[in-house]
Amino acid sequence: MQLKLAGAVLGFALALASGAHAQVSVSTTNTVYREAGGGLETTSITPSLRIQGTIQDRVTLRAGWEADVVSGASVAVVDAPGAVDAITSATEWSDFRNTATAGFGIKSEYATLEGSYTYGTENDYRSHAFALTASAQLFERNTTFSLTYGRGFDRVCNLLQPRAQESVDRVRMPSSEGCFEDDAGREELKLALHTVQGAWTQAWAPIFATQLTLSAQILNGYQGNPYRAVWLGRVAAQENHPENRARYAAGLGLRFWVNPLKGALQLSTRVYRDTWDVSSITAEAAWEQRVLEGFTVRARLRYYNQTGAAFYSDDYVRFPRGQYFTGDRELSPMSSWLVGGHVAYDVPPGEDGGVGPFAGFVILAKFDWVKYDFRDFHYGDAAVPNDRAIMATLGLEASF
Amino acid sequence: MAESRSSSELRVLLAALLLALAASGCVTVRPEDKEFLAEPAMTFGSGGDARAQEEHVMGNREGSFGAGSATGGGCGCN
Repeated sequence: MQLKLAGAVLGFALALASGAHAQVSVSTTNTVYREAGGGLETTSITPSLRIQGTIQDRVTLRAGWEADVVSGASVAVVDAPGAVDAITSATEWSDFRNTATAGFGIKSEYATLEGSYTYGTENDYRSHAFALTASAQLFERNTTFSLTYGRGFDRVCNLLQPRAQESVDRVRMPSSEGCFEDDAGREELKLALHTVQGAWTQAWAPIFATQLTLSAQILNGYQGNPYRAVWLGRVAAQENHPENRARYAAGLGLRFWVNPLKGALQLSTRVYRDTWDVSSITAEAAWEQRVLEGFTVRARLRYYNQTGAAFYSDDYVRFPRGQYFTGDRELSPMSSWLVGGHVAYDVPPGEDGGVGPFAGFVILAKFDWVKYDFRDFHYGDAAVPNDRAIMATLGLEASF
Repeated sequence: MAESRSSSELRVLLAALLLALAASGCVTVRPEDKEFLAEPAMTFGSGGDARAQEEHVMGNREGSFGAGSATGGGCGCN
Protein backbone atom coordinates (compact mmCIF):
# COMPACT_ATOMS: atom_id res chain seq x y z
CA MET A 1 0.00 0.00 0.00
CA GLN A 2 2.83 2.39 0.91
CA LEU A 3 4.54 1.68 -2.43
CA LYS A 4 1.33 2.46 -4.34
CA LEU A 5 0.89 5.64 -2.36
CA ALA A 6 4.50 6.70 -2.94
CA GLY A 7 4.01 6.04 -6.67
CA ALA A 8 0.84 8.12 -6.72
CA VAL A 9 2.55 10.98 -4.86
CA LEU A 10 5.52 10.87 -7.24
CA GLY A 11 3.23 10.85 -10.28
CA PHE A 12 1.34 13.81 -8.84
CA ALA A 13 4.63 15.69 -8.34
CA LEU A 14 5.86 15.02 -11.85
CA ALA A 15 2.53 15.98 -13.39
CA LEU A 16 2.55 19.25 -11.50
CA ALA A 17 6.18 20.03 -12.17
CA SER A 18 5.69 19.52 -15.89
CA GLY A 19 2.70 21.85 -15.96
CA ALA A 20 3.13 25.45 -17.01
CA HIS A 21 3.58 27.97 -14.17
CA ALA A 22 3.27 25.25 -11.51
CA GLN A 23 4.80 25.79 -8.09
CA VAL A 24 5.42 22.58 -6.21
CA SER A 25 6.40 22.09 -2.60
CA VAL A 26 7.26 18.87 -0.80
CA SER A 27 7.41 18.70 2.98
CA THR A 28 8.01 16.14 5.65
CA THR A 29 7.15 16.63 9.32
CA ASN A 30 8.06 14.11 12.00
CA THR A 31 7.00 14.23 15.62
CA VAL A 32 8.06 12.05 18.53
CA TYR A 33 6.01 12.10 21.75
CA ARG A 34 7.04 10.20 24.84
CA GLU A 35 5.67 10.02 28.34
CA ALA A 36 6.95 7.58 30.90
CA GLY A 37 7.05 6.86 34.61
CA GLY A 38 6.32 4.10 37.11
CA GLY A 39 6.18 1.37 34.48
CA LEU A 40 3.58 3.14 32.36
CA GLU A 41 4.65 4.68 29.09
CA THR A 42 3.50 5.85 25.70
CA THR A 43 5.69 6.54 22.71
CA SER A 44 4.28 7.77 19.44
CA ILE A 45 6.23 8.52 16.28
CA THR A 46 4.33 10.50 13.65
CA PRO A 47 5.99 10.83 10.24
CA SER A 48 4.26 12.61 7.38
CA LEU A 49 4.85 13.53 3.78
CA ARG A 50 2.96 16.25 1.94
CA ILE A 51 3.10 17.45 -1.63
CA GLN A 52 1.33 20.52 -2.89
CA GLY A 53 1.18 22.11 -6.30
CA THR A 54 -0.24 25.48 -7.29
CA ILE A 55 -1.12 26.10 -10.92
CA GLN A 56 -1.43 29.62 -12.29
CA ASP A 57 -1.72 30.93 -8.69
CA ARG A 58 -5.36 29.84 -8.76
CA VAL A 59 -5.68 26.12 -8.26
CA THR A 60 -3.91 24.13 -5.58
CA LEU A 61 -3.79 20.35 -5.34
CA ARG A 62 -2.52 18.51 -2.29
CA ALA A 63 -1.75 14.93 -1.38
CA GLY A 64 -0.30 13.57 1.79
CA TRP A 65 0.42 10.60 3.97
CA GLU A 66 0.78 10.44 7.74
CA ALA A 67 1.33 7.57 10.14
CA ASP A 68 1.34 6.99 13.87
CA VAL A 69 3.53 4.28 15.28
CA VAL A 70 2.30 4.05 18.85
CA SER A 71 3.46 1.70 21.59
CA GLY A 72 3.38 1.63 25.34
CA ALA A 73 2.27 0.03 28.56
CA SER A 74 -1.03 1.09 30.10
CA VAL A 75 -3.48 -0.08 32.74
CA ALA A 76 -6.14 -2.27 31.12
CA VAL A 77 -8.37 -2.67 34.19
CA VAL A 78 -8.58 0.58 36.11
CA ASP A 79 -8.85 0.21 39.90
CA ALA A 80 -8.60 -3.59 39.77
CA PRO A 81 -8.31 -5.11 43.29
CA GLY A 82 -4.72 -5.38 44.43
CA ALA A 83 -3.50 -2.91 41.84
CA VAL A 84 -2.12 -0.52 44.42
CA ASP A 85 0.91 -0.24 42.19
CA ALA A 86 0.02 0.75 38.65
CA ILE A 87 2.83 -1.44 37.33
CA THR A 88 1.13 -4.62 38.47
CA SER A 89 -1.69 -4.40 35.96
CA ALA A 90 0.11 -2.65 33.11
CA THR A 91 -0.20 -4.36 29.75
CA GLU A 92 1.93 -3.70 26.71
CA TRP A 93 0.31 -2.66 23.44
CA SER A 94 1.17 -1.21 20.06
CA ASP A 95 -0.71 0.21 17.10
CA PHE A 96 -0.02 1.52 13.64
CA ARG A 97 -2.20 4.19 12.06
CA ASN A 98 -2.01 5.25 8.44
CA THR A 99 -3.82 8.17 6.84
CA ALA A 100 -3.88 9.32 3.24
CA THR A 101 -5.17 12.77 2.31
CA ALA A 102 -6.08 14.45 -0.95
CA GLY A 103 -7.28 18.00 -1.26
CA PHE A 104 -7.79 20.98 -3.50
CA GLY A 105 -8.01 24.75 -3.27
CA ILE A 106 -9.48 27.28 -5.69
CA LYS A 107 -8.60 30.91 -5.23
CA SER A 108 -10.13 34.01 -6.73
CA GLU A 109 -9.12 37.57 -5.98
CA TYR A 110 -10.97 37.77 -2.67
CA ALA A 111 -12.21 34.27 -1.94
CA THR A 112 -10.90 30.75 -1.48
CA LEU A 113 -12.61 27.37 -1.52
CA GLU A 114 -10.77 24.35 -0.14
CA GLY A 115 -11.76 20.73 0.18
CA SER A 116 -10.10 17.59 1.46
CA TYR A 117 -10.69 13.91 2.01
CA THR A 118 -8.77 11.79 4.51
CA TYR A 119 -8.85 8.03 4.89
CA GLY A 120 -7.44 6.57 8.08
CA THR A 121 -6.83 2.98 8.99
CA GLU A 122 -5.63 1.21 12.13
CA ASN A 123 -5.85 -2.40 13.27
CA ASP A 124 -9.01 -1.52 15.15
CA TYR A 125 -10.25 1.69 13.47
CA ARG A 126 -11.31 3.00 10.06
CA SER A 127 -12.20 6.59 9.23
CA HIS A 128 -13.37 8.65 6.29
CA ALA A 129 -13.29 12.42 6.77
CA PHE A 130 -14.38 15.20 4.44
CA ALA A 131 -13.81 18.90 5.01
CA LEU A 132 -14.88 21.94 3.03
CA THR A 133 -13.69 25.48 3.84
CA ALA A 134 -14.83 28.71 2.23
CA SER A 135 -13.16 32.00 3.07
CA ALA A 136 -13.57 35.57 1.92
CA GLN A 137 -11.51 38.73 2.35
CA LEU A 138 -13.30 42.04 2.90
CA PHE A 139 -12.57 45.70 3.62
CA GLU A 140 -9.32 46.01 1.68
CA ARG A 141 -8.27 42.55 2.86
CA ASN A 142 -8.22 43.65 6.50
CA THR A 143 -11.01 41.21 7.37
CA THR A 144 -11.16 37.52 6.57
CA PHE A 145 -14.10 35.27 7.33
CA SER A 146 -13.88 31.53 6.91
CA LEU A 147 -16.33 28.72 7.45
CA THR A 148 -15.46 25.04 7.63
CA TYR A 149 -17.72 22.02 7.67
CA GLY A 150 -16.25 18.62 8.40
CA ARG A 151 -17.94 15.24 8.28
CA GLY A 152 -16.46 12.03 9.60
CA PHE A 153 -17.61 8.45 9.12
CA ASP A 154 -15.65 6.29 11.55
CA ARG A 155 -15.87 2.64 12.50
CA VAL A 156 -14.46 1.16 15.69
CA CYS A 157 -13.75 -2.52 16.26
CA ASN A 158 -15.12 -4.09 19.41
CA LEU A 159 -15.73 -7.48 20.93
CA LEU A 160 -19.06 -8.83 19.69
CA GLN A 161 -21.40 -8.45 22.64
CA PRO A 162 -25.16 -7.97 22.58
CA ARG A 163 -25.80 -4.23 22.81
CA ALA A 164 -28.94 -5.00 24.80
CA GLN A 165 -26.73 -6.63 27.40
CA GLU A 166 -26.29 -4.75 30.65
CA SER A 167 -23.22 -2.53 30.36
CA VAL A 168 -21.80 -3.98 33.57
CA ASP A 169 -21.73 -7.42 31.90
CA ARG A 170 -19.66 -6.32 28.91
CA VAL A 171 -16.00 -7.27 28.97
CA ARG A 172 -13.06 -5.51 27.42
CA MET A 173 -11.60 -6.52 24.06
CA PRO A 174 -8.27 -8.27 24.73
CA SER A 175 -6.63 -7.47 21.38
CA SER A 176 -7.32 -6.20 17.86
CA GLU A 177 -6.88 -9.69 16.44
CA GLY A 178 -9.72 -10.43 14.00
CA CYS A 179 -10.80 -6.82 13.61
CA PHE A 180 -12.16 -5.94 10.13
CA GLU A 181 -11.55 -9.55 9.06
CA ASP A 182 -15.04 -11.10 9.22
CA ASP A 183 -14.20 -12.59 12.60
CA ALA A 184 -17.43 -13.78 14.23
CA GLY A 185 -16.12 -12.60 17.59
CA ARG A 186 -15.70 -8.99 16.50
CA GLU A 187 -18.14 -6.23 15.52
CA GLU A 188 -17.81 -2.79 13.96
CA LEU A 189 -19.43 0.15 15.73
CA LYS A 190 -20.10 3.44 13.99
CA LEU A 191 -19.08 6.92 15.05
CA ALA A 192 -20.43 9.90 13.10
CA LEU A 193 -18.82 13.34 13.42
CA HIS A 194 -20.12 16.73 12.31
CA THR A 195 -17.87 19.75 12.79
CA VAL A 196 -18.59 23.39 12.01
CA GLN A 197 -16.01 26.10 12.54
CA GLY A 198 -16.13 29.80 11.79
CA ALA A 199 -13.15 32.13 12.01
CA TRP A 200 -12.84 35.89 11.81
CA THR A 201 -9.37 37.28 11.29
CA GLN A 202 -8.96 41.03 11.56
CA ALA A 203 -6.04 43.41 11.01
CA TRP A 204 -6.75 46.36 13.33
CA ALA A 205 -3.50 48.26 12.88
CA PRO A 206 -0.19 47.79 11.05
CA ILE A 207 1.15 45.97 14.14
CA PHE A 208 -1.97 44.35 15.59
CA ALA A 209 -4.21 41.52 14.39
CA THR A 210 -6.74 39.21 16.04
CA GLN A 211 -8.51 35.98 15.23
CA LEU A 212 -11.77 34.79 16.74
CA THR A 213 -12.72 31.16 16.25
CA LEU A 214 -16.04 29.51 17.11
CA SER A 215 -16.52 25.80 16.65
CA ALA A 216 -19.08 23.14 17.37
CA GLN A 217 -18.89 19.41 16.99
CA ILE A 218 -21.48 16.68 17.33
CA LEU A 219 -20.43 13.08 17.80
CA ASN A 220 -22.79 10.16 17.68
CA GLY A 221 -21.69 6.57 18.18
CA TYR A 222 -19.16 4.52 20.09
CA GLN A 223 -16.68 6.77 21.91
CA GLY A 224 -15.07 4.47 24.46
CA ASN A 225 -11.80 2.59 24.48
CA PRO A 226 -12.72 -1.06 23.82
CA TYR A 227 -9.53 -2.33 25.50
CA ARG A 228 -10.15 -0.64 28.84
CA ALA A 229 -12.23 -1.91 31.75
CA VAL A 230 -13.19 -0.37 35.07
CA TRP A 231 -13.52 -2.23 38.37
CA LEU A 232 -17.10 -1.78 39.59
CA GLY A 233 -17.01 -3.83 42.79
CA ARG A 234 -17.87 -7.34 41.72
CA VAL A 235 -16.77 -7.25 38.11
CA ALA A 236 -14.50 -5.34 35.75
CA ALA A 237 -16.65 -4.05 32.88
CA GLN A 238 -15.65 -2.47 29.60
CA GLU A 239 -15.88 1.30 30.00
CA ASN A 240 -19.26 2.67 29.00
CA HIS A 241 -19.50 6.19 27.58
CA PRO A 242 -22.61 8.00 26.34
CA GLU A 243 -23.11 7.71 22.58
CA ASN A 244 -23.86 11.40 22.02
CA ARG A 245 -21.57 14.32 22.68
CA ALA A 246 -21.85 17.94 21.57
CA ARG A 247 -18.74 20.07 21.95
CA TYR A 248 -18.42 23.86 21.70
CA ALA A 249 -15.29 25.98 21.73
CA ALA A 250 -14.37 29.62 21.31
CA GLY A 251 -10.86 30.87 20.80
CA LEU A 252 -9.29 34.30 20.62
CA GLY A 253 -5.77 34.96 19.36
CA LEU A 254 -3.87 38.26 19.39
CA ARG A 255 -0.66 39.21 17.60
CA PHE A 256 1.37 42.33 18.42
CA TRP A 257 4.42 43.25 16.38
CA VAL A 258 7.12 44.98 18.43
CA ASN A 259 9.22 46.62 15.77
CA PRO A 260 12.22 47.76 17.89
CA LEU A 261 12.75 44.09 18.79
CA LYS A 262 11.75 42.67 15.37
CA GLY A 263 9.52 40.19 17.12
CA ALA A 264 5.88 39.40 17.84
CA LEU A 265 3.97 38.76 21.04
CA GLN A 266 1.37 36.05 20.50
CA LEU A 267 -1.42 35.57 23.03
CA SER A 268 -4.28 33.13 22.75
CA THR A 269 -7.03 31.73 24.88
CA ARG A 270 -9.68 29.10 24.32
CA VAL A 271 -12.75 28.13 26.30
CA TYR A 272 -14.56 24.86 25.80
CA ARG A 273 -17.68 23.12 27.03
CA ASP A 274 -19.45 19.92 26.11
CA THR A 275 -22.56 17.95 27.00
CA TRP A 276 -20.52 15.48 29.06
CA ASP A 277 -19.97 18.47 31.36
CA VAL A 278 -16.28 18.80 30.55
CA SER A 279 -15.31 22.44 30.43
CA SER A 280 -11.83 23.80 29.96
CA ILE A 281 -9.73 26.88 29.52
CA THR A 282 -6.44 27.13 27.67
CA ALA A 283 -4.09 30.12 27.76
CA GLU A 284 -0.91 30.49 25.78
CA ALA A 285 1.71 33.20 25.54
CA ALA A 286 4.53 33.11 23.01
CA TRP A 287 7.25 35.33 21.71
CA GLU A 288 8.54 34.89 18.16
CA GLN A 289 11.76 36.64 17.32
CA ARG A 290 13.41 37.22 13.98
CA VAL A 291 17.12 36.74 14.72
CA LEU A 292 18.79 36.88 11.30
CA GLU A 293 17.44 36.98 7.78
CA GLY A 294 15.15 33.96 7.50
CA PHE A 295 16.01 32.71 11.01
CA THR A 296 13.32 32.85 13.72
CA VAL A 297 13.11 31.60 17.28
CA ARG A 298 9.88 31.05 19.21
CA ALA A 299 9.38 30.38 22.93
CA ARG A 300 6.04 29.65 24.51
CA LEU A 301 4.23 28.83 27.72
CA ARG A 302 0.84 27.13 27.74
CA TYR A 303 -1.58 26.34 30.57
CA TYR A 304 -4.56 24.04 30.32
CA ASN A 305 -7.22 23.21 32.91
CA GLN A 306 -10.38 21.12 32.61
CA THR A 307 -13.19 19.81 34.79
CA GLY A 308 -14.16 16.15 34.74
CA ALA A 309 -17.03 14.54 32.88
CA ALA A 310 -20.34 14.31 34.75
CA PHE A 311 -20.06 10.52 34.89
CA TYR A 312 -16.40 10.43 35.92
CA SER A 313 -15.51 8.92 39.27
CA ASP A 314 -12.15 8.04 40.74
CA ASP A 315 -13.76 5.10 42.54
CA TYR A 316 -16.91 3.59 41.05
CA VAL A 317 -17.26 1.12 43.92
CA ARG A 318 -17.81 3.83 46.53
CA PHE A 319 -18.95 6.68 44.29
CA PRO A 320 -20.85 5.36 41.25
CA ARG A 321 -22.14 7.88 38.71
CA GLY A 322 -25.13 6.16 37.20
CA GLN A 323 -25.15 4.04 34.07
CA TYR A 324 -21.88 5.35 32.61
CA PHE A 325 -18.34 4.69 33.79
CA THR A 326 -14.90 5.45 32.41
CA GLY A 327 -11.27 4.66 33.09
CA ASP A 328 -10.12 7.50 30.87
CA ARG A 329 -7.85 9.86 32.76
CA GLU A 330 -8.54 12.53 30.11
CA LEU A 331 -12.14 12.69 31.38
CA SER A 332 -11.02 13.42 34.94
CA PRO A 333 -10.33 16.92 36.30
CA MET A 334 -6.81 17.69 35.11
CA SER A 335 -4.42 20.46 34.18
CA SER A 336 -1.15 20.73 32.36
CA TRP A 337 1.73 23.11 31.78
CA LEU A 338 3.66 23.13 28.54
CA VAL A 339 6.96 24.90 27.97
CA GLY A 340 8.57 24.82 24.58
CA GLY A 341 9.72 26.52 21.49
CA HIS A 342 11.02 26.17 17.99
CA VAL A 343 13.68 27.41 15.67
CA ALA A 344 12.92 27.88 11.98
CA TYR A 345 15.26 28.70 9.14
CA ASP A 346 13.88 29.83 5.79
CA VAL A 347 17.11 29.66 3.83
CA PRO A 348 17.62 32.99 2.01
CA PRO A 349 17.92 32.65 -1.76
CA GLY A 350 21.32 33.03 -3.42
CA GLU A 351 22.24 35.31 -6.29
CA ASP A 352 20.45 33.05 -8.76
CA GLY A 353 17.23 33.46 -6.76
CA GLY A 354 17.21 29.85 -5.55
CA VAL A 355 18.54 27.68 -2.75
CA GLY A 356 20.74 25.11 -4.48
CA PRO A 357 18.42 22.94 -6.58
CA PHE A 358 15.33 24.37 -4.88
CA ALA A 359 13.35 27.58 -5.18
CA GLY A 360 13.12 27.64 -1.40
CA PHE A 361 14.00 25.51 1.62
CA VAL A 362 12.68 25.71 5.20
CA ILE A 363 13.86 23.78 8.26
CA LEU A 364 11.88 23.66 11.51
CA ALA A 365 12.94 22.10 14.81
CA LYS A 366 10.46 22.15 17.69
CA PHE A 367 10.62 20.91 21.26
CA ASP A 368 8.04 20.90 24.07
CA TRP A 369 7.98 19.64 27.63
CA VAL A 370 4.63 18.88 29.29
CA LYS A 371 3.74 18.34 32.94
CA TYR A 372 0.28 16.91 33.67
CA ASP A 373 -1.57 17.06 36.95
CA PHE A 374 -4.30 14.43 37.33
CA ARG A 375 -5.59 15.68 40.66
CA ASP A 376 -8.51 13.29 40.92
CA PHE A 377 -7.36 10.18 39.06
CA HIS A 378 -5.71 7.20 40.75
CA TYR A 379 -4.91 3.62 39.84
CA GLY A 380 -6.21 2.10 43.05
CA ASP A 381 -4.37 4.25 45.56
CA ALA A 382 -1.51 5.17 43.23
CA ALA A 383 -1.25 8.56 41.56
CA VAL A 384 -0.65 8.69 37.80
CA PRO A 385 3.10 8.01 37.49
CA ASN A 386 3.56 8.93 33.83
CA ASP A 387 2.74 12.61 34.21
CA ARG A 388 5.62 14.12 32.26
CA ALA A 389 6.11 14.13 28.51
CA ILE A 390 8.37 15.45 25.81
CA MET A 391 7.44 16.21 22.24
CA ALA A 392 9.97 16.89 19.48
CA THR A 393 9.33 17.76 15.84
CA LEU A 394 11.56 18.10 12.81
CA GLY A 395 10.11 19.55 9.62
CA LEU A 396 11.65 20.11 6.19
CA GLU A 397 10.00 21.82 3.24
CA ALA A 398 11.41 22.26 -0.24
CA SER A 399 9.75 24.22 -3.00
CA PHE A 400 10.49 23.98 -6.72
CA MET B 1 -32.03 31.33 37.53
CA ALA B 2 -28.69 30.01 36.25
CA GLU B 3 -30.22 29.53 32.79
CA SER B 4 -31.40 33.14 32.74
CA ARG B 5 -27.92 34.35 33.78
CA SER B 6 -26.16 32.37 31.07
CA SER B 7 -28.75 33.59 28.54
CA SER B 8 -28.06 37.23 29.41
CA GLU B 9 -24.29 36.60 29.29
CA LEU B 10 -24.76 35.13 25.82
CA ARG B 11 -26.72 38.22 24.73
CA VAL B 12 -23.95 40.52 26.01
CA LEU B 13 -21.32 38.46 24.20
CA LEU B 14 -23.37 38.51 21.01
CA ALA B 15 -23.81 42.29 21.24
CA ALA B 16 -20.05 42.76 21.81
CA LEU B 17 -19.33 40.53 18.82
CA LEU B 18 -21.70 42.47 16.57
CA LEU B 19 -20.19 45.76 17.75
CA ALA B 20 -16.68 44.49 16.98
CA LEU B 21 -17.83 43.26 13.57
CA ALA B 22 -19.32 46.65 12.81
CA ALA B 23 -16.12 48.36 13.95
CA SER B 24 -14.03 46.13 11.69
CA GLY B 25 -15.58 47.83 8.64
CA CYS B 26 -14.23 51.18 9.81
CA VAL B 27 -10.67 49.92 10.18
CA THR B 28 -8.35 50.63 7.31
CA VAL B 29 -4.80 49.35 7.23
CA ARG B 30 -3.46 50.39 3.87
CA PRO B 31 -1.64 47.80 1.74
CA GLU B 32 1.67 49.68 2.07
CA ASP B 33 1.33 49.49 5.88
CA LYS B 34 1.07 45.70 5.97
CA GLU B 35 4.77 44.90 6.03
CA PHE B 36 4.70 43.68 9.63
CA LEU B 37 1.33 41.95 9.30
CA ALA B 38 2.88 39.83 6.54
CA GLU B 39 5.58 38.49 8.88
CA PRO B 40 5.14 34.73 9.60
CA ALA B 41 5.05 35.56 13.33
CA MET B 42 1.94 37.70 12.71
CA THR B 43 0.12 35.14 10.61
CA PHE B 44 -2.51 32.93 12.23
CA GLY B 45 -2.29 29.24 11.44
CA SER B 46 1.31 29.50 10.30
CA GLY B 47 2.34 26.40 12.27
CA GLY B 48 1.44 24.11 9.36
CA ASP B 49 1.91 20.38 9.69
CA ALA B 50 3.92 20.71 12.92
CA ARG B 51 0.95 22.42 14.57
CA ALA B 52 -1.48 19.83 13.16
CA GLN B 53 0.64 16.99 14.52
CA GLU B 54 0.80 18.64 17.93
CA GLU B 55 -2.99 18.99 17.95
CA HIS B 56 -3.36 15.33 17.02
CA VAL B 57 -0.98 14.17 19.76
CA MET B 58 -2.35 16.48 22.46
CA GLY B 59 -5.92 15.77 21.38
CA ASN B 60 -5.51 12.26 22.72
CA ARG B 61 -4.21 13.53 26.08
CA GLU B 62 -6.74 16.23 26.90
CA GLY B 63 -10.49 15.90 27.19
CA SER B 64 -11.32 19.01 25.21
CA PHE B 65 -8.59 19.49 22.64
CA GLY B 66 -9.40 19.72 18.96
CA ALA B 67 -13.14 20.34 18.93
CA GLY B 68 -12.48 22.46 15.86
CA SER B 69 -10.59 19.78 14.03
CA ALA B 70 -12.27 18.36 10.97
CA THR B 71 -9.69 15.74 10.11
CA GLY B 72 -10.17 12.05 10.58
CA GLY B 73 -8.25 9.18 12.06
CA GLY B 74 -8.46 7.07 15.15
CA CYS B 75 -7.28 7.95 18.58
CA GLY B 76 -3.94 6.11 18.59
CA CYS B 77 -4.43 5.91 22.31
CA ASN B 78 -5.27 2.39 23.54
